Amino acid sequence: MSPPRLTGALRSFSTVSKQEDFTLELYDLKAKRLKRQELFAREGLTWPKVVQLFTQHQEKKEQQSASQELKNILQAAKQIVGTEFGQDTIESAAVYLFKTFHNKDQVGHEETRAIKQMFGPFPASAAEASCVAVGQLVALLGESHVEAFIQTQSSCKTVDQGATFGRNITFSFDSYVLDTQDALPWEEEQGEGQSLDF
Amino acid sequence: MNLKEMACARVPLDEQQVTEGPRGRERTLPALHPARKEDRGFLPYQPPPEDSSPAKVEEFLEQAQFISEDLEWLLALPHDKFWCQVVFDESLQKCLDSYLRNAPRGIDFASLSSSPAVAEMQRSLHRSIFMVFLRMATHKESKDNFITPAVFGEIIYDNFLFDIPKILDLCVLFGRGNTQLMHKMIENIFNQQPSYYGDLNETVPSIIQVFDTILEKCGLQSEETGASEPVKLNTQPRRTPMTMTEEDLADLVLYLCDTCTTIHSFLDIFPEACSTFHQHGFLNRLSSFYEMAVPDLEKALTKRNFDKCLQEDLWRRVCHSRRRMVEITHLLLQHTCLQPILEGSEHTASFVEDFLQTFSAFLQEKRFLADYDEQFPVADDISLLQQAFPHLDDTRTSYLLQAVESAWDSIGKKRPVTASSAN
Repeated sequence: MSPPRLTGALRSFSTVSKQEDFTLELYDLKAKRLKRQELFAREGLTWPKVVQLFTQHQEKKEQQSASQELKNILQAAKQIVGTEFGQDTIESAAVYLFKTFHNKDQVGHEETRAIKQMFGPFPASAAEASCVAVGQLVALLGESHVEAFIQTQSSCKTVDQGATFGRNITFSFDSYVLDTQDALPWEEEQGEGQSLDF
Repeated sequence: MNLKEMACARVPLDEQQVTEGPRGRERTLPALHPARKEDRGFLPYQPPPEDSSPAKVEEFLEQAQFISEDLEWLLALPHDKFWCQVVFDESLQKCLDSYLRNAPRGIDFASLSSSPAVAEMQRSLHRSIFMVFLRMATHKESKDNFITPAVFGEIIYDNFLFDIPKILDLCVLFGRGNTQLMHKMIENIFNQQPSYYGDLNETVPSIIQVFDTILEKCGLQSEETGASEPVKLNTQPRRTPMTMTEEDLADLVLYLCDTCTTIHSFLDIFPEACSTFHQHGFLNRLSSFYEMAVPDLEKALTKRNFDKCLQEDLWRRVCHSRRRMVEITHLLLQHTCLQPILEGSEHTASFVEDFLQTFSAFLQEKRFLADYDEQFPVADDISLLQQAFPHLDDTRTSYLLQAVESAWDSIGKKRPVTASSAN
């Protein structure tokens, strides 16, 4: 809990701040994850496009292998998002796993964090399975080919770091701290050989 | 979605129109329009956990990561989209406000987390939040990206993007290391929207009320809060710092410490606010508060028997608060009396009178006067006045200086010998 603050009192007792609207629902982590999934689903790359990439122009044997890996990814996605969601959500999660692992050999800390951020707690085995399946798929076409495909399909522009406001502004993390030069009165007294009663 | 934007260069944002939408279904809207806001859903900020349990750390990191990414996204938006988001996205304003309310201050207990990941995330958020406020306080970002100053003033005021409590929070959170930027921000806000001076004027009595509340909680009452009212026979005895619970005493000292640090940081960064405080007789209220509350708090902290660590921390907070109150007094005197006199204002005589009257009022607050003199020797100010205003009444100044001497004697403190006192 925050300690008592002057500005807390001013917000409560003066008339210069906006009155709190307690009816307005705040986002929580669950709602935020759903919002993130929704935004991701609008980014352009869809599951049918991924399926099409790996099933056309392939030999029959390779097509069968690709289909199996695609099924494995969908299965892992289902385990990660949970069974209560519809096919669209599962496919969107499959796309997310595909994008996350297309250039990774294993499930690292960063990938775990990203998946948890998007879907909440998930079984590690599902992430492992999807990582292996994506690796098998990418091997069929080559990493550069898949990378180019993802770039073409994604409508989401990467953030131009150079254009970010404040990029070149020097910021200091110095903050007001407690003065430390004050001697404690009981230490002074102790120094003078007096006894303390606390 | 295909976007076709037609924004005219060198036209202020508030006058721009944009045409956007899918081909064949384009529509023209003002550049600042709620329909152009993204439904992003900013999360509210929660402070780092007090204990470092893995579950709480993980929860903090996850929530903070979302906020951090969303703020990065916001700062990378072009000027028009940034302002649409800022003005129309309620969740963003809640997120920013929650940070100002809940972010740990440098003076809080254990404000730095023991987890490096938490500390790093907190630093990243801290910087991003500051940059968002800085961008919101800037009406001209570049030659092409700007808002008409008067409209900017209306936007920030009418939408509560800034208000006085928020400005005070910004000062205490970011002002120490970014004084110049903060001054520019606040100066621009007040210049483009003078209604903030009116709000400040309305806020000062509430700040004075906070000091009165602390006095009441100490079982003391200021003269203005009806100390002369008769006490009912069956009234419970008032709690004092000696008799209140340890928790209440700690809360009271924390509240005092936060209040003094916040006011000091604001006046230090934005001295233009000093005259508003001065008009409300803030100095007299502060000095009498000091005289009444400080000795009682000090006595309780030295005589009561409680946790040693807490006792030391609270003692440091009272000392810190004392010093900030003296510095606030000095800032107010400096900017409302001394500086105009030294700058040769045409109303010098009235500023001199104001200065002397303020000090005359301090004479009954002996502890306060001696502590002030210790940090800012009164003789130095009088000497400055004598040089700037040769008609100064020597009888009055001698009387003042003698009263300062007697204040030292009456509280039983030895005055350090300085060059000015030796002369």
